[in-house]
Amino acid sequence: MCFITFFFLFMFSMINLIFFVYFFMNDLVIMMEWEVISFNSMSIIMSILLDWMSLLFMMFVSLISSVVVYYSKSYMSSEKNLIRFILLVVMFVLSMMMLIISPNLISILLGWDGLGLVSYCLVIYYQNFKSFNAGMLTALSNRIGDVFILMSIAWFMNYGSWNYIFYLNFMKNDFSMIMISSMIILAAMTKSAQIPFSSWLPAAMAAPTPVSALVHSSTLVTAGVYLLIRFNDLMLNTFFFKILLVLSGLTMFMAGITANYEFDLKKIIALSTLSQLGLMMSILSMGFPKLAFFHLLTHAMFKALLFMCAGVIIHMMMDIQDIRFMGGLSKYVPLTSLCLNISNLSLCGIPFLSGFYSKDMILEMVSMSNLNIMVYFLYYFSTGLTMFYTIRLLFYTMINDFNLISIFNLYDEDYTMLKSMFILLFMSLVSGSLLSWLIFFKPYMIYLPINMKLMVIYVSLIGGLMGFMISNMKIFSFNKFMFFFKLSNFLSLMWFMPNLSTYGLNIYFLNFSKNLLKNMDMGWSEYYSGQGFFNIIKNYSVFYQFYHMNNFKIYLFSFIIWLMMILLLLLMI
Amino acid sequence: MNYNFNTNKMFFYFILFFSTMISISSNSWLGCWIGLEINLLSFIPLISNVNNLLMTEASLKYFLVQSIASINLLFFILMKMFFLKNFEFNKIYMILLNLPLLMKMGSAPFHFWFPNIMEGLSWLNCFILMTWQKITPMILLSYYFFNNFLIFIMIMNSIIGALGGINQISLRKLMAFSSINNLSWMIASIMISENMWLMYFLIYSLINLLMCMMFFMLNIFYINQMFFSNIKLIIKLTMMFNLLSLGGLPPFLGFFPKWMIINYLIINKFFILTFIFIMMSLIMLFFYIRMTYSSFILNYIKLKWFKIKMKNSFFSLFNIIYIFSMLGLPLSTLLFYF
Repeated sequence: MCFITFFFLFMFSMINLIFFVYFFMNDLVIMMEWEVISFNSMSIIMSILLDWMSLLFMMFVSLISSVVVYYSKSYMSSEKNLIRFILLVVMFVLSMMMLIISPNLISILLGWDGLGLVSYCLVIYYQNFKSFNAGMLTALSNRIGDVFILMSIAWFMNYGSWNYIFYLNFMKNDFSMIMISSMIILAAMTKSAQIPFSSWLPAAMAAPTPVSALVHSSTLVTAGVYLLIRFNDLMLNTFFFKILLVLSGLTMFMAGITANYEFDLKKIIALSTLSQLGLMMSILSMGFPKLAFFHLLTHAMFKALLFMCAGVIIHMMMDIQDIRFMGGLSKYVPLTSLCLNISNLSLCGIPFLSGFYSKDMILEMVSMSNLNIMVYFLYYFSTGLTMFYTIRLLFYTMINDFNLISIFNLYDEDYTMLKSMFILLFMSLVSGSLLSWLIFFKPYMIYLPINMKLMVIYVSLIGGLMGFMISNMKIFSFNKFMFFFKLSNFLSLMWFMPNLSTYGLNIYFLNFSKNLLKNMDMGWSEYYSGQGFFNIIKNYSVFYQFYHMNNFKIYLFSFIIWLMMILLLLLMI
Repeated sequence: MNYNFNTNKMFFYFILFFSTMISISSNSWLGCWIGLEINLLSFIPLISNVNNLLMTEASLKYFLVQSIASINLLFFILMKMFFLKNFEFNKIYMILLNLPLLMKMGSAPFHFWFPNIMEGLSWLNCFILMTWQKITPMILLSYYFFNNFLIFIMIMNSIIGALGGINQISLRKLMAFSSINNLSWMIASIMISENMWLMYFLIYSLINLLMCMMFFMLNIFYINQMFFSNIKLIIKLTMMFNLLSLGGLPPFLGFFPKWMIINYLIINKFFILTFIFIMMSLIMLFFYIRMTYSSFILNYIKLKWFKIKMKNSFFSLFNIIYIFSMLGLPLSTLLFYF
């Protein structure tokens, strides 16, 4: 099952690669439409748009998913319902494809909702309470985006068709288009976990690791970015994109800081994903959709690889995800460590790894644009933070002392996993340069003073140094964090965002329904309908039975008395 | 079911049935009275049992109550003959003549003997007391029916039947109160027409027969016996359906006559009466359900070595009637089809 799926997905990705090259070379766009129903001059259309962007993205998605499926053959080998798992992953990929290829809002909703539903199924795959809660958080956060898409579908009815791609330039100043663009931005922000909605992304780490690799690299979280790339023409230089710029910059910043407080291996990686998503969103909202797309693709590669390495490590460490237990892994598992290192360094943009090409270009374009100091600070500080948590993670896992139990067996010869990782290793090595040569055949002109140019290196060096220092911190120094307990709490809990979207939101409704239950269901309505009525009847019955306790003589006598009284009445008349 | 075939009892049953015939077919009040007396005298030997003190007591109570009612009936008949001309109506005479009859059938203000005596009878005698013994007074009541007075009696019957039953654990008393409640429907039906009464009475007796036979065969006298004894689920289920039918829940036969009565009462604008009837039969249904439903759903300690054996041949005789009792309402629609 795994192999068949792997094979087909891999072949699909190769076909997509060929088509991408062909389409890109000839600058082709193919659009197919199937009119499902047409009424009242509105036509509901299933449309497919094939251009180089969708083909390239599909190629990456199917490549990563094929590798992930291959990987999960080993990772999920002891799983009872492996077929179900694979089918869920395939459905996930399919809905992502639906999202990618369709420029129609209704048919996008198909993929969009499919992603939400299947991601829920995948997050709750380990059926326990933690994953249930995480899945519910994920599903409901994504549900907000679904609702926004639905609402924008309703607004789109003004135009008689849902093929948004035709209206982007034409209807830009229309009022309903402004409403639509605000809703689309909100939808994309939920999917891509931007700041008010970002709590679900680390929570979704309850999913099996291959799923995390798939979800957080190329599929679920990038759907929002991809949607905004498609809607880019509409919102360029609008107020919405300015807000999005601030929010996504803050997301990047917040995720970078929170990752430094985190000790869970998968959560660190998830938060780094969040930070990279913030980067993509912010560069997108500054008006560089191509750069965002470029970073999306390279990021997909090394992030999938990173998650897969994490999966291998978790497997080896007897399901322990805490990085404080790890250490010295580079000596035990060199191949996995190699992959982990390359992907990690690619993440923080070490030159000539794939992350470098996209990230460096983004940062330089940021420096080129006229921005205020705050956004500039957010960008560069987050870059430093990326370096910070990457080095911290590296030292914790690779260099420091090994802290697990004394009897252990770390082995690096699970070739199913390793082979699949090597595919991605290769891709995360070359994809940056490859794509930059392919996509940007007209180079960006960048002209910067030397210190601004070297700013990236400065912040990276400082971040790396900090990461190194913090990873060697002793327990005595750690305890000093207690002085800033509230600050640490604030920063490590993602700026209290999980509280905002879970407890802080539903406490009012839960309280209200508790009061309702207490006062109505178990209170007044019980008192006045069920139990109360029964009590009344019962008391009457008890009262009535009191009459039954008389002597038999009295009954008979009372009968006679009654008759005599009536007889007297008769005689009186 | 080793019930000895007693020829003496056959004789008394015969007299019991024919005395009823005498009173409901006679064309003078004295004849009616004679029928009632014969009925009383034939029922006493049926219920009295030398070996059982309770039964003897019940027979004595029955005798006292009925004889006082009969004396008064006779007295008022004679008084009416003496003071009133033929076909002359007087409301107070009507009340006076109705009261002993109400006493005889165990209707509300004079019903106190009824649960007491039921407590001392066997189930078959209970059945006769609840159904057959009510024919005569009911028919006689219809001869001299005082609406305005009897509507109060109906309401009283309905409420007392419901309230009395809710706190009972003795099944015989429960059935007695259920009978009191049904009496209100019967009086209402006889107010409307005799055919309606006949239908109500027949269906009520049918369901009551089934219930009494069931309790008789299972030898159950108290509610907790339903939980203790190992009754088969199917029998419990039939019992429950029959009880619901008795309470008048729609898919069953018992709803049919009640439906008709409600219909006619509303046509004749007895809205309050209908309301009270329906509400009180709701309470009736509540304790019918409480009898059986909790024995389904609750887990009780059961006696392991106490098995109830029922003769299948005898039981299967009733099956057809059970089916009629449960599916009677849909079947009865065939009547209107032709």
